[in-house]
Amino acid sequence: MHKLTESILDKFSMDYLRNQVLKNAYGNDDTVIAGLDPRVLLVWYLFFGLVPWFLNDLVILLGLFIFVALTTRAAKIAPLVLFLFCLGVFSQTGYLLIAALFFGGDASTVAPLLVMTLKVAVVSLASITVFSGLDPDRLANGMLWFGCPDQLSFSISFAYRILPVLMEEFQNILLSYRLRGNPPAKKTFPGKIRYLFYQIKLIIQAFYPLMLNTAKRSRTTVEALEIKGYRYALKNPTVKKMKLAMLKVTRNDGIFAAVSIVWTVLCVLVSAVSPL
Amino acid sequence: MNAKNKMTQSQKMMVFVLTMSLYGLATLFTELIPSFQVGIVEFSVEYFLFIPLTLAMLFDPLSAALGAATGELVFSEIMLGQFGGLGELEKFLTVTIGVYIAGRIVKDPRNRKVVAAASIIGVAVQQFMGCVVDILKVQFAVEDFEAVAGLPESVFFTEGFACLNDILFSGILFCMLPTMYLAPRLYGKIEPLLGVKPRDKDTMIAGDYVLTPKMVGMVLIGFAAAIASELLASGGYELIDWEAAWAGNTTSIIIGIIVAAIIALIVIGMIRGRAVKNAETKQA
Repeated sequence: MHKLTESILDKFSMDYLRNQVLKNAYGNDDTVIAGLDPRVLLVWYLFFGLVPWFLNDLVILLGLFIFVALTTRAAKIAPLVLFLFCLGVFSQTGYLLIAALFFGGDASTVAPLLVMTLKVAVVSLASITVFSGLDPDRLANGMLWFGCPDQLSFSISFAYRILPVLMEEFQNILLSYRLRGNPPAKKTFPGKIRYLFYQIKLIIQAFYPLMLNTAKRSRTTVEALEIKGYRYALKNPTVKKMKLAMLKVTRNDGIFAAVSIVWTVLCVLVSAVSPL
Repeated sequence: MNAKNKMTQSQKMMVFVLTMSLYGLATLFTELIPSFQVGIVEFSVEYFLFIPLTLAMLFDPLSAALGAATGELVFSEIMLGQFGGLGELEKFLTVTIGVYIAGRIVKDPRNRKVVAAASIIGVAVQQFMGCVVDILKVQFAVEDFEAVAGLPESVFFTEGFACLNDILFSGILFCMLPTMYLAPRLYGKIEPLLGVKPRDKDTMIAGDYVLTPKMVGMVLIGFAAAIASELLASGGYELIDWEAAWAGNTTSIIIGIIVAAIIALIVIGMIRGRAVKNAETKQA
């Protein structure tokens, strides 16, 4: 229990979190993936995010998994994100395996679950490549091009800018609560539980001032947007065209698409010859 | 209805931005807080749903609900690269529906009993829908679901228990109690910051939407019925058998992949075409 509270507090080291998120967003502009056209990547994602769900062939899935693992490597993803990915895959299927064994399954249970784990892994890695590898502004523009709601692309760009500010503010509020508070003793076991609940209560209470502050800030944001004619610009196609003029399909995009297609075909061929 | 009592478009936008950033921040934390497990039972700080719940009770419920869902999508999924594609749609919809319903129920945020009931109903609705979808997902993803020893029972057991556990543990501890604490306290304090009148009988959103609570209820019943029928239908596992039959040989897989790629391109072309057409009609 002590370890748990400790690890929660560790995770709340805001500087670490903030660095990781910012690094993930803006720290990998120079990679091959970041240089690709967001539209091409979104189409690519549509394929690698959907098709694995309908495949049950172990060889093809393994091939696709290796490929998306390579693209993830090329996109230089922050370690925190990769750690979360592993945790996510385990929590999706790993616990099911344990539960199935508990209910009297045996080795035959492993094979279908392995297929499912691979499916989840391929889809998640493809999404990590696209959504973490790309600069948020480019991603937002790519989505806008496909006719996604403007609110969504606005939210993405806005989120990356507001997050560091919000985190810092939350940290300050939390620290000031901690300074004024009197935490319960945590020597005994009930004391430790009380301490954990005290920490959770503190976090919840910290949202009270944060809500009021953010309300003020969001009013300022929206009013600033209104002054710049945001809602008018949303509906105006000329503005949209100017905004999207930066998107260009280059030779690199062609190579990337060709490599993906060739790799997928190869996987299918290998699975056709292999006895599995 | 007095025009003064209605929220303007930009005020709705403010609520959207407010909920999005706050709930996004909170989900980012929950994504990182480790959950501790007792056996196979997972006790996790599932989410900080009290934030959108409180805001939906104080402001326009629809904006708050959409803001919360978008915030979760953008902050914890896209920013951390955990975007699961279509799977996120389910979360988006369930969060929106749950928060919206809770927000519509409350007429006076100072009434703690109603606030408590509304928040627990919102959570229950959201969790239940999520649970049903989760079970269906495993059924469709695993080939020969029934044939794998111990799998169906374990899925029903773990999912059902997780759902109940989330409603009782996270629901009461992290949604109901904080909302009961925050909603009455913020009432009358946070509204002036956005230039909105506090919610009372006059400012209660009404006639503003095509969606009435009754209609939402109908939609929900429809949703439940659809899922129930889906469950019954897959009880015979006809769909899965059919799928397994053609997915067995390689040629069909190749054809399937090609067809999927073509369909993807066509869909994109259609989306693009519609977007251009929309832009043109707007320009004209």
